[in-house]
Parts: sequence; structure tokens; C-alpha cells
Amino acid sequence: MESEKLGFYPGCTLEGSSSGYAESMLKVFELLKIPIKELDDWSCCGASSAHALDHELHLALNLRNLSLAEKQDFKELLAPCAACYHRLISTNNEFYLDNALLASLNDQTGLNYQGKVKVRNILDFLIHQVGIEKIEKQVSHSLSSLKFACYYGCLNTRIPRLLPFDKVEYPEGMDQIIKALGAETVEWSYKTECCGAGLGVTAEEISNKLVSKILLDASAKEVDCIVVACPMCHVNLDTRQDKIIQQFDIPKEIPIYYITQIMGLAFGIEEQFLGIKQNFMPALQI
Amino acid sequence: MVNSSFSYLHENVSYCYQCSKCSAGCPVAEDMDLLPHQIIHSLAIGEDSEALKSHTIWICAGCYTCAVRCPNDINITSVMDDLRKKSITSNLACPKPEVLKFHQTFVKDIQRRGRVHELRLMGEYNLKLGKPFNNVELAPKMFLKGRLKILPPKAIKGFKTWSKKLWNPKN
Ligand code: SF4
Ligand code: SF4
Repeated sequence: MESEKLGFYPGCTLEGSSSGYAESMLKVFELLKIPIKELDDWSCCGASSAHALDHELHLALNLRNLSLAEKQDFKELLAPCAACYHRLISTNNEFYLDNALLASLNDQTGLNYQGKVKVRNILDFLIHQVGIEKIEKQVSHSLSSLKFACYYGCLNTRIPRLLPFDKVEYPEGMDQIIKALGAETVEWSYKTECCGAGLGVTAEEISNKLVSKILLDASAKEVDCIVVACPMCHVNLDTRQDKIIQQFDIPKEIPIYYITQIMGLAFGIEEQFLGIKQNFMPALQI
Repeated sequence: MVNSSFSYLHENVSYCYQCSKCSAGCPVAEDMDLLPHQIIHSLAIGEDSEALKSHTIWICAGCYTCAVRCPNDINITSVMDDLRKKSITSNLACPKPEVLKFHQTFVKDIQRRGRVHELRLMGEYNLKLGKPFNNVELAPKMFLKGRLKILPPKAIKGFKTWSKKLWNPKN
């Protein structure tokens, strides 16, 4: 493994409302002995508003962070937030496909990015870099009595014009991780259906409808928990769930956990170090 | 020119052969006035006025389902972005002003210190909306759960000046 070359891009949500994701990820990485260092001086990637208003603004914001990562000698930049990941990797890819665009934006922004940084997704990193075997070896508290629905959401696997690290429509990497922790995962129809997090604030009725379909399918499969790898999905499925299950007649509350919180529990890390108290829905009974 | 008739688009919509796959998989299709394939079709035949005025471009969830499924590799999600921008710069009335206000408040908050302060963002968005109590029922619980940071993140040195050159809030 490339030690000390892995940068961590938290993004605003992991620094703010989803700090439990960052906390649990860093704990899990520590236990797995994977060195990772926060990108110094990072700024917001703009998701999901900058690109909604201006494509070049979106590119420039991400160019700034990519250029910082290059200057700070990070070979790879890990963005656990699916939205940040999507913004960073699609910017990088656009530069890769169009060198002149990179040159002109470098010029315009006073930056000097050479395109050398590789942007990594958390699931991709866990599956292909860390490896299922190593994850399995770390398990001290098998989750064998539990049944999970792995929810990948939109932005982890749907990157236009890039080779995907997993199947785009029906990914399985997160399922592999959960199985390595001893638990069962279900086959279900909503793995990558959008939860409408981007509309959660501005068009709540649409967003709630999308969330309700996900919860209904998961609940029909009688899962104990839905696992996510995105702070936007987490906020959207967790914090308004009490209201949504009433409105849409969903039989019971479903805990929503980050993949790194579940890994932490299976690795025997205490709940208080995994940010679990931030979750609105009841804690998993293990 | 092979490219489509509209220079503000980053995508070549003329590749579209109207299979409707984009619309079939769109999670918010039932709430749209124009379906994604109809948007692309109108642009391909050189007509953008309906698309620019549509609700669709404002309620698109940005999920990229259409973009990764299009057999002709048209990034429809990116077309939605371009249409939104064009409708703003053309000063068209926005049919979903709350969405526009949210995005503008968000970008303004980024420009302030380089990182978003969620509490301030929500407060300012509500004020802009003229609904100060919008979503406030969530706030106390968010706070108790440690999900709402009262203090803003640290300001990134030089960011404000740097970003002002890229984006003028009046746009
Ligand atoms: S999926 Fe692509 S080719 Fe098919 S209708 Fe939509 S834009 Fe056109
Ligand atoms: S990106 Fe927008 S148009 Fe495309 S499928 Fe998602 S919501 Fe529909």
C-alpha cells in the first residue's frame, strides 16, 4: 500500500452535520493501519449548488482542491462523501479528456494543476485497496445475527465517461464488505435509486416520496438496518424518517448507518468513537 | 457544425435518437412538466424556449441515472445544468424560485470563507425565502445530536478574493 500518500478530503458535511462519518472512518482506518492525512486548506467542492448554476465555477472549485492535493504530494485523494467524490472525479476526468481546458482554467485561477492526483471513492478503496480479506481478519464482533440492505445511492457509482469500480446499476462491493463482517445482505430493488437528497430542502415532498420507496422496499425485506456511504443519503434517510414513515405507512423505523460505523462495530470499536449517537433512528441492537 | 445549435451546451444533443431511456429511469419524472427525452428532443431540433422555462430543470435531482444509461453517451444531467444557467442569464422567471434561492445562498456561503456553514446557510436561505421557520423543527434535534455546528468553520485564507473573480453573486 502507498503509505503516507493518501489524502483525506472531508468536505463540508463531514466537517459539519455528518462528522460521525469522518470519525468512524478515521477510527476504522487507524485500526486497519492505513495512514491517511487531511488535505490542508481544502475548500468546498460546491456540491450540489455550484454545478447547478455554473459549470466553470464547479470546475474551478474542484481544481483548487486537486491542485492542493498535488502540491501536498498526495498521490490519491479519498472523498468519503459521494457528492464530493463525484465532483472531484468528474472534474479530474474532464481535465484528462481535455488538456486545453485544464490549461485555460489553470491560467484563469492562478493554479498549476498537472492532473496527477487520483480521486478515490471510499467503497472502491475498501474493496480494492484494503481488500475483503484484511477486513475479515479485523472482525472481533461478528454481526452474524443481522440483516442489512446496502444502499449505494446515485453518486457513488454513476460517473459518466469513467470506468466504474463496481457495477453501476447493481453494485455489490458494499455487500461483500458487510458479508465479511459476518452479516447477511438482501437483494433489493433500490440499491442505486435516488433518495432525492438534493431536493430535501427545496422540494421536500418529492424527496420524501423517493425516500419512502426505499424504506418500503427495505422494510419488506425485513432488514435490521440500511447501510450508506454518503452523508447526503444519511441525512435524508435518517433525520426526517419519523415523519416519512407516518406519512407513507411504513411499519417501523429502520436504523441508518454509515458503512464505516458498521465496520467499526464489527471491529469492536466502542460506539462513542463511531459517532453513532448522531443518528436519529434507534441504534442497532447487536 | 456537428455540434448542436446551442453554444451554451457542453453536450452534443444531436446524438439523441429518442429512445426515452433517460425518462424511463428518471426518479422525478412524474413531477416534471417536460420529460428528459422531450427536453433533449427540443434542443436537438433547435428549440430551447420551452426547456428553459420548464419546471424540469429545477426539480431534476441530479442523480445521473439518465446520463449513465443514455446509449448515445449524452450527459443529460449536465444539459440540465447548462439550461439552468442559461435561464438565469436570460433573466427568465424561475418557476421554482426556492431552488434557485437555495443554490445562490449556498454559493454565497462558500464564497464567504471557502467552506459551508450549514447553520448560517439554512438561516439565510429561510430569510431569502421569507419563511424564517422553514425546517426549524429539525434544528433542535440536529443540535442535540451534535449534527449542527453553531460556530462557522475556519475561513480559508485568500479564498474570498480568489473566488470573487470566478463568480459574481449577481449572475
Ligand atoms: S437516453 Fe439518450 S438517446 Fe435515449 S432519448 Fe434520452 S437522450 Fe436521447
Ligand atoms: S439527473 Fe435529473 S433528469 Fe436525469 S434521471 Fe436524475 S433526476 Fe432525472
